[in-house]
Formats: sequence, structure tokens, C-alpha cells
Amino acid sequence: MVLRRTMSQRRFLCTKITNHHRHDHRHDHHHNHRRWPIKQVTKSNFSEALEQIKNHIHGSDFVAVSLQRTGSHSSPWHRVLPIDTVETSYFKAKYAAERFQVLQFAVCPFSLRASKVIAHPYNFHLFPRDELKIGMPSYSFSCQSSYLTSMAREGFDFNACIYDGISYLSRTQELASKDRIENLVPSKYMLQSSSANSVADAVFVERIKSRVKHWRNALNDSSTRTEDALIKCLRKLVLGSEAYGSRPCLSIDVCSERQVQLTLEMLREFSDDLVPLLVPANGGGTQAVRVVLTSSKEDRESFQRELQDLEAEQNKRVRGFREVIELISASQKPVVAHNSLNDFTFIHSKFLSSLPSSMDEFKCSLSLVFPHILDVSHLMKEIGPLKKVTNLPAAISYLKRRFFAPIDMEICHQADANEGKIHGYNVLRISELFAKLCSILRIVPETLEADNNRLPSVLEGYANVFSPCSPSSYDPIDRDISVWTDNTRKVDGKDLVFLWGFGGGMSARMLKKLLRNSHEVFSEEFDVRLLDKSCAVVVFCNPGSSESFLEAMDSGGVSCESLREMISDGLRATDYQTYWRACRLGLWEADLADALDKALADDDSLSKAHSEEPSEICWNSELMINLDAL
Amino acid sequence: MKNQWIVRVLSKTLTLASHTRSLCSSTTTSSPSTTFSLKNVTKSNFESALTDLRCLVRDADFVSIDLEMTGVTSAPWRESLECDRFDIRYLKTKDSAEKFAVVQFGVCPFRWDRSKQSFVAHPHNFYIFPRQEIPVDWPSYEFLCQTTSLDFLAKYQFDFNLCIQEGISYLSRGQEDEALRRLHIVYEDELSEMQCNLREARDTPLVRVADVLFTERMKNRISEWRDGLLLHRKGGSKFQESSSDSSQQFQTIFFKMRPALLLNGFTSRQLRLIQLVTEKHFEDLVYIYTNVETSSVQIVYTDSKNDREGLVKEVKDGRRKEAEMKIKAAVGFRHVFDLLSSEQKLIVGHNCFLDIAHIYSKFVGPLPLTAEEFSTSIHKYFPYIIDTKILLNANDVLRPMMKKGSTSLAKAFACVCPEIASGVNGSGLGLKPRVQVEVQVDDMRSSNWNSGAKHEAGYDAFMTGCVFAQACSHLGFDFKLHSSFTNLANDEKLRKHINLLYLSWFSGEIIDLRTGKQTAESSYYNSLKTKYPKIVFSNIALIWGFPLKLKAREIRECISKTFGPLSVTLVYNLDETAVFVQFSKAELVSDFLRLKEILERSNGPISVLHPLSKLLEGGNTRAATYEVYKEICSSPISEVLFADQAEMIGIKWKTEPVGSNVEAETRVGETFIQGDEMNANESDLGKISSMINDLSRGHFRESEIIDSSYPAEAQVSK
Repeated sequence: MVLRRTMSQRRFLCTKITNHHRHDHRHDHHHNHRRWPIKQVTKSNFSEALEQIKNHIHGSDFVAVSLQRTGSHSSPWHRVLPIDTVETSYFKAKYAAERFQVLQFAVCPFSLRASKVIAHPYNFHLFPRDELKIGMPSYSFSCQSSYLTSMAREGFDFNACIYDGISYLSRTQELASKDRIENLVPSKYMLQSSSANSVADAVFVERIKSRVKHWRNALNDSSTRTEDALIKCLRKLVLGSEAYGSRPCLSIDVCSERQVQLTLEMLREFSDDLVPLLVPANGGGTQAVRVVLTSSKEDRESFQRELQDLEAEQNKRVRGFREVIELISASQKPVVAHNSLNDFTFIHSKFLSSLPSSMDEFKCSLSLVFPHILDVSHLMKEIGPLKKVTNLPAAISYLKRRFFAPIDMEICHQADANEGKIHGYNVLRISELFAKLCSILRIVPETLEADNNRLPSVLEGYANVFSPCSPSSYDPIDRDISVWTDNTRKVDGKDLVFLWGFGGGMSARMLKKLLRNSHEVFSEEFDVRLLDKSCAVVVFCNPGSSESFLEAMDSGGVSCESLREMISDGLRATDYQTYWRACRLGLWEADLADALDKALADDDSLSKAHSEEPSEICWNSELMINLDAL
Repeated sequence: MKNQWIVRVLSKTLTLASHTRSLCSSTTTSSPSTTFSLKNVTKSNFESALTDLRCLVRDADFVSIDLEMTGVTSAPWRESLECDRFDIRYLKTKDSAEKFAVVQFGVCPFRWDRSKQSFVAHPHNFYIFPRQEIPVDWPSYEFLCQTTSLDFLAKYQFDFNLCIQEGISYLSRGQEDEALRRLHIVYEDELSEMQCNLREARDTPLVRVADVLFTERMKNRISEWRDGLLLHRKGGSKFQESSSDSSQQFQTIFFKMRPALLLNGFTSRQLRLIQLVTEKHFEDLVYIYTNVETSSVQIVYTDSKNDREGLVKEVKDGRRKEAEMKIKAAVGFRHVFDLLSSEQKLIVGHNCFLDIAHIYSKFVGPLPLTAEEFSTSIHKYFPYIIDTKILLNANDVLRPMMKKGSTSLAKAFACVCPEIASGVNGSGLGLKPRVQVEVQVDDMRSSNWNSGAKHEAGYDAFMTGCVFAQACSHLGFDFKLHSSFTNLANDEKLRKHINLLYLSWFSGEIIDLRTGKQTAESSYYNSLKTKYPKIVFSNIALIWGFPLKLKAREIRECISKTFGPLSVTLVYNLDETAVFVQFSKAELVSDFLRLKEILERSNGPISVLHPLSKLLEGGNTRAATYEVYKEICSSPISEVLFADQAEMIGIKWKTEPVGSNVEAETRVGETFIQGDEMNANESDLGKISSMINDLSRGHFRESEIIDSSYPAEAQVSK
């Protein structure tokens, strides 16, 4: 790798890297990126970085994101398996997103210019510190030792993260905490043409009107008169006048949103120099309207500006890192990720709101915030339907070996004064990989600048696909490349049967042998794979075989002595529906066998509660099963 | 890493310098306090530190300990509550110990030095981290972090990097046994498996052309090599390494006195094919993995069948031994626990029930289900545990003093050992210390040591030990008189305090580890007055999922309107989504549950007008007896809100919409039995089931519901 640094340009140091080398070893790759300047952001330089990234997002065509989590799955079957449908993979991703934490969030606004990527990478260090002392954003989170250890090996600074990480609140948390954070909200009420006022309304309006009038007159009087301190004090007490900063104000208690509405209407009609503020009540809603008296039109405007600044400051304090998410969302730029299901379940649960209970709702809710999500692992599949590479460095080197698609990475960044550890390369790898894929697939989104709100039609087909069969992108336990082989075939969920209770230490081969002699359906072709040490899946080739086998199991193996024997030894079987239910109910036992047992036990109560849901949900989609990956 | 320590020590020195200055003017007796870091132990110096610690613990009179964890409670409602029964408190402690990790373990042996008439303390600060050192089966090593706890540790400059990178890992006894057992099974199975594999390997047909070609080539290569060997043996020419390109991949070496071929640079698939070829075509060659990590593979030539079997066994034994060594090495920090346990020394902690539970779950095995079993079990490892918090509250001289402040460790230390704590504060309150304590770290020794690093496990352990020494002295234990005290724990003045630990400091409940029961004299130690009326668990109903805006007061009103003004003695918020309601009588609990059931079934105007309807609004309100609370607490799940928690695990009790009557009947019966094991009599039961039966048959008119339930108090009071 050739690395050229122009040291003379102190302020905007552009590092240009030409990438025409071969990657023989995956681990070298990592090493090679050591010196790409990625802006590391913590609490101390967050405000400054926020301003910069705002401009960069605005000026770029795409935004790549990449998350560093504290764990992924705690049992083998909790990871996304080839037998998972979109829906079950969502349940799995949801479970992980709810338990683990994001410690680094890398964001890279970038543009493609011919074979050049112009990137502005940032790496934000996050920690869910309870900055506002309201028990948010996160009471606790899980960590997997192996994840922490491998992060430590890469030189991750946990002290910097925990001492100085940026906190955040999700959109829902911000709403929920509004009343707990003591702040005044400038009234943003849309004044509707008021519906017919009742008598009670009229009385209320008259009463507060006279009170405000009295207060204002008294203030105007007293400003001209010189008064005894005691009198002043008493007057204040009688009028209920307070001060908001240097300006006088008056609080009007309200009992309902209707009264808030009426008060605001009245104030608007009453005078120009009054600015209403809402005082939030403890349990949500509004407790009072605070009226601030400004001295002139100029004063009123300056006061409103003050309020705006205050709000911006407040937002930064409350939302923290979420401001970056809001910027990306507001830009409506396409977001590029790798294994988007994992990353976006995390993003949704940490920064938007808790995850909905179905994939459809999730997609719906997410698309309101990020209309275009592009997944490089999905694009990879376009290259060759049978070839699939699971992690980023492997994917990049795979492309390098197969295709000639040189990409120049140009990273324009202010040099960091201190040469600390640099993290967050993945986001650059994603940008690079995306550029390569675009060039190989001949998708050249040059038209992007023209119309910001619409994705170029060439990319449209690739957007918002949450591919179910993507194993987790970053898995320190196994970094093996798993390339899809020709042993992939389409299987209907109906042709799968889950088996457990066959005793420990059984290999798939032994189990297959046992089964072959147990029942007539096994005289046809079938396959057995272990999902974890407790449970196996049988894949039938003939439609209908699974039903007849399950029937035989239900009948206790009548007329099949050896099957009967196995059932007596504890063998159990169930269909895909039970598996789906185990995922849906969140029965994340360590062993799949236990989860399936529980799902069966809960059968009755649930089938009733969810009877309205089409039970075929999982059958609709055909599964692409790679038997070798099992 | 080292720099960080120096910085830490340096900053401490700076702050202390100012303390010392002010101290010198006021006290003449104390020499300027010296500071050097306590003994920090990580992976790199663990071996040597352990060797030293063995001697120090053997000679010690007692050992004080302290732990730093990644969190305390996994959900707000899992905090210690007023309304927690003894068994629930244990369950909550168990949950905490199971979920959170220990990141620092302070051990401080104290030895009485007769010549100097003072104690010598050796504070050690171990960084530990649950790193997975040996490949174990799933579930993976996972632990919870409480955000506030990490923040707290960060406030006291805890070095997370050091902990995660350099922390000492450990295996519990249970994990070690399991690993060895598994190793044994693998070893036993391997032979039989191999025979089986061999046969199958021969049967497996090669499908791909490339594989067939490769296999053929390898067969020739290996055969060539073997023939060369045989030729050489017969006195022929020396084996010539074949073409230069393959010499990188094939290398002749000697393995256990036998000629062998080392394979380099093959992919795992290629290796598998080579293995197939070897096993299929060459009787006298053995394919051996010598090092699993580097995947170094050899093909070894053997003379005979016997030789072959001998070699296989030899390799296998070697590998097994290696794996066993690795497991032994992974025991890591547990050696410290084993040391403390085998020396049977008096263990001193401050408010240490949670610490002991952590120690058990990390170094022994899964925590037992009940406090009784836990006590019996831990007693085997630590026969003598003393809690300084108990001691301080038991002592007539110390207790009044403690009342001025709290008995938190730092306060107690400042109070009882003002001279050592000098800089900390409150020297005015202090008593004259009766026992001298010297500190020794490696070769450095000081009689006036203060590292001042609060909430660092090693220093906290040191403070605990100091407090204990002073407290003993106040209890009338004169160390000077005891020329050699073989075991402090047998002293009669201490004996009555041994093995008593606070289960919860706030409620003052004490567990006696000898019996596993709550001590009768709990109240004796209890310095806090409880502001609540006496809690009767059988009178408590648990309600959750009600409308969030409903306040405890309103809930009380609701229920009082139904069951009479005096029916509710206490409404206690578990969290914002759940309350405990204590009734005046146990029967009211089941009456309430039954009434709720009935109201939810009938959708008529009565249920809308009923005073309880306010509580039931929204249709998500659930209620259960206290026993259900126990079940919820014992679940491994921890949702932040109690209502969510109950829903997650409580699918079983979810009040179903009018479903099958049979089901409802048994369920109501169950709750009833659960709730009133003591008071339930058969007639009550009969009444309920007949009532439900009536209901299911539709004979139960709405007016009757009112009759039977509204003046429920009257019914109960008879």
C-alpha cells in the first residue's frame, strides 16, 4: 500500500491511498488500514464534530454506517441459521439488539466519482451514561467476554469509552423524559380555529384574561412608580408575578389541553408582547402556561431567539449522539451497511424506539426514518448467486481476486493532533466495497445529486432488503469464510422437522443412520443436520413426508417398533411452526431443545391469543438452505 | 499500562502531601504517612504473586476481602425492597451474583507481629476478567453491566483496559470438573469414533474431478515417500526429496523416533482428502494432528500394527495431557479462592453477603436455589466468615458512634481508624486506635500507609481488615495478651458474631450461615426503624399492569371502597408498574383475586361501575399472590419494568379472555392454594369452585356478584 502524506497542508490533510495491491491474508488487510485518518469522536469533541459531519452528510451521496457491539449471540442457535426466514432472523436480531450495547458507531458520508470514493469517516465512541439522572438510556447491558477481548486485542480504549463516551436518548425516551427534565417548552401549538366554545370555556377565558390584564397593567404602573421594597414584594405576591430571566412572567395553571389551547388563543389575541411557554406536568401533559412579558417587538424577537438557542442546546444535551442519527435521517441520503438487519435493529432499539414485534412493522417504522438502506452483503449476492462471503475483508479480497475494479479511497480530514488509536475501519471497508460493487455491477449512481430525495432507479432494486441468511458480520469466534457451495437448494419450511431428545454426543451422521431404519419416510432421500448439540433438523425432499413422519411421532410410533423405541428413549419432533413460535415468544433458552419444549408447552395459550395471525406466515417464503452451512 | 499506575500513585501522593502537612501540625505522634501502591496483580505477575500470597495467607491471622463488580441489580425492581421476604432476598442476591462479573478482587492478609506488637497487612488488588481461555461449549461467557455501576467505577478511575486485557481469568470448580469430564469423554470416544470414521472414510466416494485428481497425486507422492523410506531402510540410497515445489509442502522429519512427513500449506479440504488417502491406502502410515492450533499435520511411518496402535495411543495421551494442562492453567484466579478455602482462615468482609455469593458462583459453581443450601455449601469452603458491619452494630461502644454517620466502609474506617485514615476526614469523631497496623507491599513497609484509593478492592479490603482489628479490640479482645491465637474465630467474644451476615442492611435482616436461616435476634442488630407496618406476606397481593397514571393512594382507595376502609394496611410501590397491597386478612387476598377474575369476565354495566374498574382499566391489570412474586424473582430474565418482566415469564397466569371454563377453574384454584397454604381450608376451596362452577353454567347473575363480593369485608369478618 502506498501512502502519501502531504505534511505541508496542516489544516486539511488529504491522505490519498491507492489500492492496487493484493491481499493474500485477511489479517494484513486490517493492518494496512492502520493509518487511514478516521476522526475519533468522544464527549469532548462532539459538538465540533457534529457541526462538521452535518456539512459532510449534506455534501455526500451516501452515508455508510458500521456498529461495534458488545456481543451477538449467546448460544449457537441464537445466530441466524440457514433455516431462518426473514421473520425468525428478525426475532434473533431483535433479541441481540435489546440486550447488547453499541460502544462504537462509525459514520462515513461518502460520494462516488468515477472510480474514486471521497469519504469523511467518523467514529463515535458511545456509552449509555445516565447524564440526566433519569435512569436512561439503558439500565444495564450485556457483554460477551469474547467480544470485549477481541476489541481489546485491537487496541480499543475502554477507559475512553466509559469515561468519555457520548450518551444518547432514543426518540421515545426523549418523549418519555420530557416531563422529567425540567425545561420549558416554547409553545408550538398549531392554533386551530377554535371549535364552538362552551360556557365553561368562556368563563375560563374571561377569568384568565382579566388576570393577565391586571398583571400587565400593574407591571406597567409599577415600572413608572418608585415603590417601597415591601410594597413591591407584596404586590408581586398578590399578582403572582414571577421573573423569567430578566423579564417578568406570570403562571397560569391549566387543567386540560383544552384550557391550554384556550389560553394560547386568548394570549395571541390579547397582545403581541406576550410569549407563552408551557410548563410540562409530572405525568405528561401540561401543568401551566407561563406568560413572559417582553418590552418591545425587538425584545420579543431576541427572546424567541434565546429560546431557540436554549432548545438547541437542550436537544444536544438530551439527544446526544442521536443528533447524528437525526442528521442522517433528515438528509434522506441512502444509508449503506453490511448485514443491515443486525445494525438497524440496534439503531432502531437504541435511537428510535423499542423494536416492534414483527418484521413488517419494523420495516415500516424504519423506512420512515431511513427510506433507502443498501446492504453490501445483499449486493454481494448479486455478483454470484452461489458465492457468498461473510465478512468484509474477505469480501473485499474476494472481489479483488475475481474482478478488476480499482477504487481510490480519498479521505479528506483534518488531521488529529494526537496520533491515537484509530478505530472504525469497517465503515471505510463498507464504502470501498460498495464502490467496487457498484462498478462491477455497472450501477453508477451519477445522477444522485440531481434529485436528493429519490434513489436512482438503478439502485432501487437493491434497497431495503434485509437478507435473512447473513451470518453476523463480525464474529470473533469464527472468522472463517464460508463460501456458498452448490449444496444449496430451496426448501419449503413445511419439509423441515425438528428433532431432539436423542441424547448427547450424537453426530448428524449417526442420527441419520438411526432414522433411516426407524420409519418408512426415511427410505426416501432426506438430510439431517445438527443445529446445536441438543437439536437437529431433518430436511425432507418429498412434500408430505414431514407430515407423515410427524403423524407417526404423534401416534407414538405405532407399527414402527424402532421409532417407538426412540420415542420411549425421549425422542421428540415438531414442525417449523413451533420453531417460529419459540423465536416469536422469545424463548431464548441456551439449548434449542429446551426452547422447543417450552414453545410446545405454551402452545395452547398462544394459539388462542394469536389465532388471528396467519399461521402460514413462515411457509409463504421458501427457504434457501445451504446444508453445508448447518 | 505502567505509566497509568505511576500517574495514579503520583496524583495520590500529591493529594496526600497536603493532608500530611496539616496532619503534622496537629499530631505529633504520627510520622508522615508514606504512600506506595498496593500490590496490583494481573495476568503477568499472577504466578509470582500467588506464590508469595500462599505464605502470607498461611501465616495470617485473618484475611479481609472485597470485590468490585460490574453491577448490583439487573432491574430496578430487583433492588432490595421493604416487602421482600427472606427467601426473596436470597433470590435477588443470587440473581445479582449470577448476572454480573467481578472485575477486581481485593485480598489482604493480616498477621500479628508479636515483636512489634502490631498487625502487618499485605493488601493485594487482583484484576480479574471472565475471559474464555479454553474452548468450552456454549453458552458463551457473558455478563451484565449496570450502566451506573460502570460510571461509578469510572469515577474512581477504574482501569477497564487493564482489566479486560490483563485481568486474570478463572474457572469455577464446576467448570473445571465439567471440562475434565468432557475431555475424558472425548478421549474415550475418539478411539471408537476413529474406527467408525475409518470405515466410512473408505466408503465415501469422491465426487469432484478435481478431488479425484488431487487424491491420486497425493497417493503417488505419499507412496513415493514410503517406498523411498523402505528402500533406505534396506540399505538403499537415501530418500531423495522430490521436486522442489513440493518440498515446501512435504518435509521429512522424525516424530517420536519414527520417520514422518510434515505437511505444510494445504487447505483444510486438501488435508481431509490426504487423510482419506492415507487411511484408505496405507496400512503402515498414520495421519496425525500434532498441534490443533497451528493445524500442523504429519504422516508417520509405523513398523507394525502394534507400533501403530502404540503411536496412536501415545499421541492421544500426549494431547490429552496437554489439554489437561490447559484446563489446569485456566483455573487461574480460583487458586486464590482455593488457597483461602484450604487454609480455613477467618474471612473478614464488610457487608459481604453479596461478595460471598459472587465468590460461590464464580469459583464453586451455580448458586443453590435456597439460602439454606447455599449456607451449608459455602460453610464447607469458608467455615468462618465475619462481617464488620455486624460487628460495628453489635458493639455498645461503636454503635452509638456509627449512628452519627453511616456504617459505610469509608465512614467506619475514618471513625474507627482515624490515624490510618488520617487524610480522609472526621478525625474529630475518632477514637484512639488501640491496634497498630503496618502495611507491607513487597519490600516496602510502612506503619502509616495510606493509598487512599477508595473503591479499589485491595484498599477496601485493607480498610475492612483495619476496622475489624479495631473493633475486636473494642470488644475486649487484647491481641497483646494472646501470645499465639491459633484461631481467632474460636474466641468466645467473636464466636457469637461469626457467620452472621446482613442479607439486607436496610431491613436489618441477618442470615446465619451455620443454619441458613434468618437469625432470631435480627432486630438486635437492626439500627434502622422501619417506617412501615409489620409485613405479613400471606396478606399481600401483587398487582401490576394497571394504568400508569394510577397512584398508590388511588389504588388503596379503589380497594378500600370494595373491601372496606380498613381492609388495606399497606400499598407499596414495587416500581411504577406494580404495587404490593397488604390486606388486613389473608382471606382478602383470595377474595380480591376472585373478584377481579369475575369482574373481568362479565362485561356488563356492573363491572364498569364497580369501584375496582378504575384499577382494571385498560384490561392489562394482573394480580397474583406473593408466591408468584417469588416465581418472578427466580426467573433468569430481567426486564426493566416489573410489568414487562411478569408478562415475559408469566404467560401461564395471563388472565385469558373468557376461554375454557375448566382451565379457568383449575387456575383460580391454584392461585388460591398458592396464596393461602397456611390458612386455606377445604370449605373455602369448595366455596370458590362452586362459585366458579355456577359462573360457568351461567347461573351466576350479576346481582349476585355484588351480593357476594361488595360487602366482602362483612363476609370475611365473620
